[in-house]
Amino acid sequence: MAKHFLVFCLSALAIGAALLASGQDRQADKPSAAIAPATAAATAAARAPVHDEVAERTDGEKRFKANCGRCHMAPQKFPPRMMATIVRHMRVRATLTDEDARLILRYMTQ
Amino acid sequence: MARQDCSFDRARYRCGDPVFPGGSIPLRLERIVLALTLLLTLASSLRAQSEDSDTQHPVPIFSAGMGFITPFEGGQPHLDPLISPIFLIPIGDRWLIESRDTFESDLSTPPGSDTFRGVVQKEVDYLQLDFIANPYMTVTIGRYLTPFGIFNERLYPIWIRDLQSDPLILPIATGPSNAGTGGMVRGGFSISPKVEMNYAAYYSTLIAVSPVDSDRSAGGRVGIFLPDQRLEIGGSFQHLLQDERSNSFGFHFAWQPPPIPLDLRGEYARSSRGSGYWIESAYRLGQIAAAQDYLRHVQVVARVQQFFVGSLPSEVLPTANTQEFEFGLNYYFHDNLRAVSSFGRQFSSIGNVNVWTVGITYRIVTPIGHAGSS
Repeated sequence: MAKHFLVFCLSALAIGAALLASGQDRQADKPSAAIAPATAAATAAARAPVHDEVAERTDGEKRFKANCGRCHMAPQKFPPRMMATIVRHMRVRATLTDEDARLILRYMTQ
Repeated sequence: MARQDCSFDRARYRCGDPVFPGGSIPLRLERIVLALTLLLTLASSLRAQSEDSDTQHPVPIFSAGMGFITPFEGGQPHLDPLISPIFLIPIGDRWLIESRDTFESDLSTPPGSDTFRGVVQKEVDYLQLDFIANPYMTVTIGRYLTPFGIFNERLYPIWIRDLQSDPLILPIATGPSNAGTGGMVRGGFSISPKVEMNYAAYYSTLIAVSPVDSDRSAGGRVGIFLPDQRLEIGGSFQHLLQDERSNSFGFHFAWQPPPIPLDLRGEYARSSRGSGYWIESAYRLGQIAAAQDYLRHVQVVARVQQFFVGSLPSEVLPTANTQEFEFGLNYYFHDNLRAVSSFGRQFSSIGNVNVWTVGITYRIVTPIGHAGSS
């Protein structure tokens, strides 16, 4: 029984560590996390998320033009909470895919 | 039995035995592991809460499309003011209440009078509750725009449409009010990185009370979208569950050739009450080098359409075979405000007429509550 308890605790520890790590990855995706690190290794490590962010932004812009431009002129950018509502509305109205809606919202709120 | 063993072990543990009964792990280690687990769980929870506060929670929105259109049909002027308020109310992460109403009037001068007269027509275009069930499906109940073709659902609003007159075939399968009342499932998903599919299937019940009237029908629409080519093609079907219980079907396409600001759209629809098609092209003069500051605001539009009378009579479709050509010129002051104009010629066996339109359209969007920083 004690072994089971220990295994449970270690599993919870591992899950917690994984959650923290994933949270740090998401934090690193944000522009504020792209502060120049002190060492070259850290710089290289930081470039990958920045590159991902650029690629995601490019993808979001592409999907924005392809989907939103099908029916109307490209709209202006609204504050983030408004964009969240508008994208949810358009997801239903224009039958956007889940991925399109996510990337368009990200692009429009950057 | 196991619980008794556990309490027994726990009792021994609390009695100060430094070693677990079945092994050599010291008591201190268990306490450390337990404490670390609790700390990490707490930290993860706090981080999750922090991330939740960072994500963009949607805020209710009020929007409205407005316009003042002056059509001249056969030389007879009309004044058509219109306002169409929209409410979007998100609830939680998966729900959305949305509604659009239309208040419009068709003012004209009766014979022997110089003053414009008319009545205000009210219509609930949609009032629906959407539930995003999963990444592939949204469930909608309430009153919704009938998903037949693309014009009714996507291009109908006054601030979106490039030409202010309706396509002749619009009433086919969309009923007396372009809307249905009942339930619908819809969604979109990727078949491959280069192909997306969208669908909608619905059931509508009969309601004869204005302004929420609808026909009893069932149907659906399927579309294939190629994002790289910006090409969408699809088809629609509807079975009327009242009156003559007829079938309607249609096809649609929309294409934006990526290198140029050109929109090409078209629909074909067929029913026992009539059939026809429309094809429309719209070009924004943004690529002309001369006077680009002005010309990039200008859009030229052309549409050709044809309607053929069906075997059954209709109150909302043309009563004779009709052909129509329209040319439009729109000027965008900015994204939400534009001046619109068009000239068309309608040919039919009951007479040929010119159709002129001039007007202005405007849209406002405002949050109901704190919208966050831009």
